Parts: sequence; C-alpha cells; structure tokens
Amino acid sequence: MNDVANVPKVVLRREIAAPAKELFDAWLDPASLAVWMRPGGTPRTTVTVDPRVGGQFEIVMHTASGPIPHTGTYKEIDRPRRLAFTWNPAHALQIDSLVTVEFRPARGATEIVLTHERLPSQEAVAKHTKGWSDILELLAESYREVRSTA
Amino acid sequence: MDNLLGAVADSTRRAILARLAAGDARVTEVAADFPISLNSVSKHVRMLERAGLVRRTVRGRDHVLSLDAAPLAEAAAWIAHYQRFWDDRLEALDKFVKEKRKQTRKRKQQ
Repeated sequence: MNDVANVPKVVLRREIAAPAKELFDAWLDPASLAVWMRPGGTPRTTVTVDPRVGGQFEIVMHTASGPIPHTGTYKEIDRPRRLAFTWNPAHALQIDSLVTVEFRPARGATEIVLTHERLPSQEAVAKHTKGWSDILELLAESYREVRSTA
Repeated sequence: MDNLLGAVADSTRRAILARLAAGDARVTEVAADFPISLNSVSKHVRMLERAGLVRRTVRGRDHVLSLDAAPLAEAAAWIAHYQRFWDDRLEALDKFVKEKRKQTRKRKQQ
C-alpha cells in the first residue's frame, strides 16, 4: 500500500451489460454525458469536452437552484480500458480530486471500477495518511447508518 | 492538520477511535482492551485529545473518554457525497445504455 492509496477515496464497482467500447465512449461523448450526468432530477445538463490528454471538459448541471459547473482535465485516455480525469465542482465541497474509471470485460458485460480520490495537497500530508481512509470509511459508514435510520 | 493526520496514522490510536465510536468509555476500560500498559494507552489518548478527536470528562474519580468526529466530518461528508453521486451516475449510465439499445433494435425492426 502506498501513501496515496490511503488518502480518502471512494471505490465503486458496477457490471453493465454492454461492451467496454460502448461504455467508454459514453464518458467522452457530450450528447451521452448530457443524458446521464443529471443527478437528483437535474432537468438539464450541458457538456463540452476536449477528449485528449491535457484537454478540458465542462459539465454544467442546470439545477432548480442554479447552474453547477464541474470542470476537469483528462489525465489518461486509454480506450476502452482506462480513463482518468480531475474533478473540480464549483461548490462547497471543492477539493482537488481525481477520478479513474476502469472498464473490465466480464462475460458479455463490462465491470466498471470507479475510483474517486482526494489529492494530497502536499507531500507532507501524504506521508501521514496511513490508515486515514480506514477511519474515514468507518465514520462514513456510521454516517450512512444514521441517515438511513433517520 | 498534521496533528490530526498524525493521530490517525497509528493502528492503536485508530483502534481506540473505533472503540469510542461504539460508545464512551473510561480510560481503564479502553486500556483493558489492549495488550499494552495503561501508561502507553494514556499517551495515545493524549495524542488523540491534542488532535481534537477525543474529549475527556472527569466524573468523580473516573476519566470518561468520548469521540469527537467533528474534525473528520468534512472528509467523511465528502466520501458520503461522492459514494452516492457516482453510484447514481453509474445507475443512470446503465439505464442510458439499455435505452439506447432498445431504440437501435426498434429502428432495425422498422
């Protein structure tokens, strides 16, 4: 385990019955992104992408309480295996973060493994983060339990 | 911040936090759970107090420890937020792909 692996992060897995190429392309196609990047009943999302390493994207979620732009830079584009980009939402939770999406063929389907990690702001912090995620996951877990029983 | 990260960097201190997450406890009760001396447990507890993660209340002769998760709340909220956000997005991607295939099939049939 390296230090970065212990920075707070979210890891999700989901199997979808479609080829990896089709799913990979849905992440870089503005028309596709505009459909499935609408969290919590967002009526409309507008998207611009420059799909090359170093290129930028902007996903604007037009919510009832106003537009929420999310911007980022593509760090890795390895079709149809791996896609990595920074994620900077323009709201209170803004923190430098990196999203990595892996596409693994799985018998007529594709397993998507999504990792979203906060980036250490300085090396000194990274050196002290051993086990940081364990305790945070524990707390996040209890937080979810409280919410689900409320 | 360094205090905070240093405090959770040690497995014994994380175990103490996990113990206190389950409920308040006396210093002696916490110490009984670990194969180390009361003195070393006290040292670990003092580090957690300095980081603002543990609070000590003196009730008579008892020193009762409780967890104060507030310093970690912002990071915990970040994790909870994005777990839900990406889970919902992958669900939406799944629906999107299924819908697209249905329409392609219809078009072929026409």
